[in-house]
Amino acid sequence: MRPGTGRRAERLAPYVLVAPAVLIIVVLRLWPLLLGVNFSFTGDGALNGTAVGLDNYRDLLDDPLFRTALRNVGLLVLLLPVAVAIPGLLATFIYLRVPGHRLFRSVYFFPAVLSPVIVGAIFNLLLAYDGPLNAVLGGAGIGPVDWLGNPNVAIFAVVGVHVWATFGMALVVFLAGFATLDAALVDAARVDGASLRQTIWHVIVPGLSRTIQFVFVTTMIGLLTSMFGLLYIMTSGGPEGSTYLPEYYIWIQQGQMNRPALASAASTALFVIMLVVGLLQIGLLRRAGRED
Amino acid sequence: MKQRALWSAVLVAALALAGCGSAADSGSSSGGSAGKLVVWDWKSGDASAASYIEKAKADFAKRHPGVTVEFVAQPFEQYYTLLGAAIQSGKGPDVMLFNGGGQIRDRVDALLPLDQYVDEDKQRLAGWDAFTKDGKVYAAPVTLQGHPIYYNKALYQRAGLNPDRPATSWSEFVANCAAITKATGAKCFAQGNKEGIGIQFFMSGLGSGILSPREYDDWVAGKRDWNSPGVKRIFALWKEVNDKGLNNDGANSTAMFNDAFAVFQSSKAAHVIGLMSDIGHWKDFAEFLEAGNVGVMTSPVVNAGTTPSLPYDGGIGYAVAKWTKDPKVAAELVRSLTSAEALKAFHADAGAIASDTTIDVSSAGPAVATIVSEIKDGKPALHVALSSKTVDLMGRLSQQLLSGSITVDKAVEQLAATDQAG
Repeated sequence: MRPGTGRRAERLAPYVLVAPAVLIIVVLRLWPLLLGVNFSFTGDGALNGTAVGLDNYRDLLDDPLFRTALRNVGLLVLLLPVAVAIPGLLATFIYLRVPGHRLFRSVYFFPAVLSPVIVGAIFNLLLAYDGPLNAVLGGAGIGPVDWLGNPNVAIFAVVGVHVWATFGMALVVFLAGFATLDAALVDAARVDGASLRQTIWHVIVPGLSRTIQFVFVTTMIGLLTSMFGLLYIMTSGGPEGSTYLPEYYIWIQQGQMNRPALASAASTALFVIMLVVGLLQIGLLRRAGRED
Repeated sequence: MKQRALWSAVLVAALALAGCGSAADSGSSSGGSAGKLVVWDWKSGDASAASYIEKAKADFAKRHPGVTVEFVAQPFEQYYTLLGAAIQSGKGPDVMLFNGGGQIRDRVDALLPLDQYVDEDKQRLAGWDAFTKDGKVYAAPVTLQGHPIYYNKALYQRAGLNPDRPATSWSEFVANCAAITKATGAKCFAQGNKEGIGIQFFMSGLGSGILSPREYDDWVAGKRDWNSPGVKRIFALWKEVNDKGLNNDGANSTAMFNDAFAVFQSSKAAHVIGLMSDIGHWKDFAEFLEAGNVGVMTSPVVNAGTTPSLPYDGGIGYAVAKWTKDPKVAAELVRSLTSAEALKAFHADAGAIASDTTIDVSSAGPAVATIVSEIKDGKPALHVALSSKTVDLMGRLSQQLLSGSITVDKAVEQLAATDQAG
């Protein structure tokens, strides 16, 4: 073998090694994505295959359902701090060894292993109008709440269940973060007579800033991309269309309304939203990385 | 550095999008070649449909021994999504199952008109209208689907009412309900509108007692006046029934399938507008209430001058795709799937009212006998005539009507606009 061949093989090796991954991403992800975007500029039904320009996007903006779906995305972003604070607080209590913390650690994680369909079915029963939760409320003298039938309440009920079902994962991440926290700092705070609130605010939160940022990012992705199962089981987008999210809208238009091109337009819109969110998050992570 | 971040962002987002947007691959089971037909449905996997499929296959094999038939059972929740993807690519099954009404009418572009093949069956089978668009038949009916009003005879008896003489007028009906609620605590209607389906059943179940025969026929024929007093009365009555407490509590958060039916089955409500076939029907109810206690009535007369009738249509039916290689053979398979022998098996095992009205149903109990006897004078259901878009909107508006966030006038205005556009 001449020395030249060996060098060339060495030069090509990285490309060959990377090729399968690149091919999979390009052929199975990016190319279909482009096809989808292209498809969103064509018509549905009788206009199938003909270019209609931005008509589908205009339809989207005119559709109150899609606007509701986008509003709900905004609402999810607003609810994000709550979804992060809950596992954060609970992890703090476990870290501070409240009585029974070992039990709580496993109990809190348990819902994370259940599929959204099962979780949805369980809460459909619990939150039914004549269900146990309302019975308890009734016993306490509070009128029944139509958890899944009141358009002002339903979205919060679904998000609440989603948080309940998924916070176990974030809790574990938080606990891992606590493992890196310098216990001497917490002890020092205690010796100095800091209250629980002061300990959390001045010692734990700063110590865990990177963990908190990471949980923010993963919770955000979870909220935006994996609510479909719960929505489908718990509300089917209702009542009055108040719990629509873009994913659900896309599914309805494609599968039930037979409007695949409009669904593609909605997918493209969701893609742009995810792109913006993704960029923001990467910026956030990079900044967090620099701080260290 | 910035460049790299941008690219990774693009990739992350692309991965996320592709993950949620992509349909399942259907390549392996689609596209029959010559000598092979592929059938898509959501029934053939059920144990209760096994003998039906077997009989249909045997019937077809007698006529076309050289052609193999492959049944692919798809999950119903994904069925129209998968079918939409197949239609979009112009490749898919040769024969496919459809629900009557909007689901098939929205997709006739991909289907073959069957008139010339199924002419002989037209007399024997009922329910063709649901599979017809612009005068052409696109599928042959297998079952009939409709919306009888079921009532609980035991509750009638406990309230001192004659269970064999249900009310014929609306005022009498409401009075009976009051008596039942007083005596037994049961509500008048089991109502589930979580999916927005309650309004469909309500509209069709009571429509023949609200609209004059003329207006009813016009509606079905596509000449719909949403602003007529009759149509507004349907929606006003929908609201009134709920406001007066005739429905079970929380109708908007009760799923029709199957929470509302469960309310009826557990005798917590005296009436339910149910189905004729498959689910939420006489067979399900009889399991809980005993066949003798399940009564069937037509709509009480709400508006004078109406003649109540059983609302029904073709329920499910098999259609032939435009792209099939040999349309004649595929149509023959559809005929086998609607042969008398096969349908008899379907009725007996799956608890469906088959499209073949010559089948003997006497062993299935009094409710079925009543339903079958009413088929002759029955008419297509009102909501089946609407496009899926209008039905979808109607579902949301009906929830708003119950919660009081929209008026009847505003609701019919929106429905009229959508109905005309679609």
